[in-house]
Amino acid sequence: MNATPLLSGRGLTKEYPMGAERVHALCGVDIDVYPGDFLALRGPSGSGKTTLINLLGLLDVPDSGTVRLDGRDTATLSENERADTRRDRFGFVFQSFNLIPVLTAAENVAYPMLLKPEPPHDLQARAVELLAAVGLAGKEHVRPDLLSGGQRQRVAIARALANHPAVIFADEPTASLDSRTADTILDLMKQLNKERGVAFVLSTHDPRVVERAARVIALHDGAIEMGAA
Amino acid sequence: MNRLTVAWRNVTRNRRRSLITGGIVAFGFVSFALAGGFMAQSFDGLRQSAIRSGLGHVQFADARAFEKSESSTLEFGIRRAGAALAVLRTDRDAEVAMPRLEFYGLVSTGGTSIPFGGTGVDPQAEARGSDIPKTVQDGQWLQADARVVVIGRGLAKLLNARVGDDLTLLVTTPDGTLNAVDATVGGIADILIRELSERYLALPLPLAQELLAAPDTVSRFSLILHDGANESAAAVRLGSALRQAGFDLGARLWRDLAVFYQQVRVLYIGIFGFMGTVLVVIVFLSTFNATLMSVTERTREIGTLRALGARSRRIATGFVLEGALLGLASAIGGALLSLLITLIVNLAEIHMPPPPGMAKGIVIHVQVIPVVYLLAALAMIVTLAMASFLPARRAARAPIVESLAHV
Repeated sequence: MNATPLLSGRGLTKEYPMGAERVHALCGVDIDVYPGDFLALRGPSGSGKTTLINLLGLLDVPDSGTVRLDGRDTATLSENERADTRRDRFGFVFQSFNLIPVLTAAENVAYPMLLKPEPPHDLQARAVELLAAVGLAGKEHVRPDLLSGGQRQRVAIARALANHPAVIFADEPTASLDSRTADTILDLMKQLNKERGVAFVLSTHDPRVVERAARVIALHDGAIEMGAA
Repeated sequence: MNRLTVAWRNVTRNRRRSLITGGIVAFGFVSFALAGGFMAQSFDGLRQSAIRSGLGHVQFADARAFEKSESSTLEFGIRRAGAALAVLRTDRDAEVAMPRLEFYGLVSTGGTSIPFGGTGVDPQAEARGSDIPKTVQDGQWLQADARVVVIGRGLAKLLNARVGDDLTLLVTTPDGTLNAVDATVGGIADILIRELSERYLALPLPLAQELLAAPDTVSRFSLILHDGANESAAAVRLGSALRQAGFDLGARLWRDLAVFYQQVRVLYIGIFGFMGTVLVVIVFLSTFNATLMSVTERTREIGTLRALGARSRRIATGFVLEGALLGLASAIGGALLSLLITLIVNLAEIHMPPPPGMAKGIVIHVQVIPVVYLLAALAMIVTLAMASFLPARRAARAPIVESLAHV
């Protein structure tokens, strides 16, 4: 494993209000993500997996602790700079796919490219190429509601790859899929990780994800239980 | 894929809601367009009424006559009136030139004497350029050379005079002596304003000049222009022509003299402005709920877009664009509906009671005013864009993780 982490979290804590009480979602977690990593965050519901992904993916800010990207403390970034960082360096895959229903498959994939100040000229061709790479050639003009769950997740993966991210965060990517489709999706992620060198950070209950992971971090009650390579 | 296309797809995403929202906006547009069209028609009617009440399009008189009242008879009179009238009547834009000689005096039936405001007129010119001759219900309008007068119904009542009765008119001439002439009541005019009706007395210009011992003298000229003539340009050109002929007269356009018209105009604009504001508020409140629902339903989508790197501002402007597009589409629908209703109303010839200052009822006629349509469209687009902006801005600034977790 490369010694220099791409992303590192130190002493990450996060609390959420729950009625009159406060729930400790994360309690001082230290974590590193390396270039080309395939890291699984394992743990039961409420263990803090999603919270950790949200903090590392700059979707949320920690109550204390730091998240560094390429050695830079992300706490210094403005809201717009955080958005730009997510656009340029990260990709996201969600449990419920979260595709934009009014856009076709190709338009969903192209959307993150459009967010750039200067969208690429070959945006459409690149969207088609990415869809082909995830096995959806010929589905470019199909709206998400006409695709199966597995196909939607493939579109979501292609969308996550749109701006050549360094890391793709996948929160329970197989939870809404049947067993066979889940295997296919995980194989695809593994393949893209290998071929494109993009790091994957996945939160999961699914043992199949853990089997394929290069590293596994187990979380319990907001703290790291153990680390495995 | 451009932002407009995406915005339009989002507009048509929930067709029923968009149709209801669009319907409210179209209703707002129709209200604006019809009220504006009716108001414009009313202004037009009032304008015509003011001009035909005797003001004319342009008046020429001694400049001081426009600023203050005369302290003695014909203090600001125009001598060699015939020559001046000839200049006015030869202008290409002049349809009717009406000389007027204004004075005050006492009118007596023998038993009763009442003060009156007299106007010496050219009967034929007045019949063509003024509506007052048309208000003569008893008797008839003046004849050029007859020694007859037309009096207001109010004055007739005060004098207890009828058509055919003899009157004596008594005045102070410009040189301060008293003079009197006898005349017959030839007609009684229905002047709407009571104070004016009780003082109104019109007589042929030659008789007035004889009474005042002021031959070839008038107080002012009132000019009716041909349709489409430029009033300001005509006033300047005629003023110059009069100066060349040796007459140094001031000019006033009808709108500077028509105080009643201006007051009604301000009142109408105030009412229309208030109604417009209420309408915009109603449309805003009615559509706000729909846009709030639309934004709330798409909370997770907003979270996703932000996770992908879309800035809050881009997301909020996307919703504004959707609102503006729906506003535009609704305005187009509203415009078509307005044109249809306008056509139906105008063909139906709906009669209304007489408005203030008019003797007869009017037929409702709605004009199509492009500027009103444009303003109504703008108001509706901006209103809907604002109704979209407020909830969208709030949603676009909410924490991303909360948006993503929204069910």
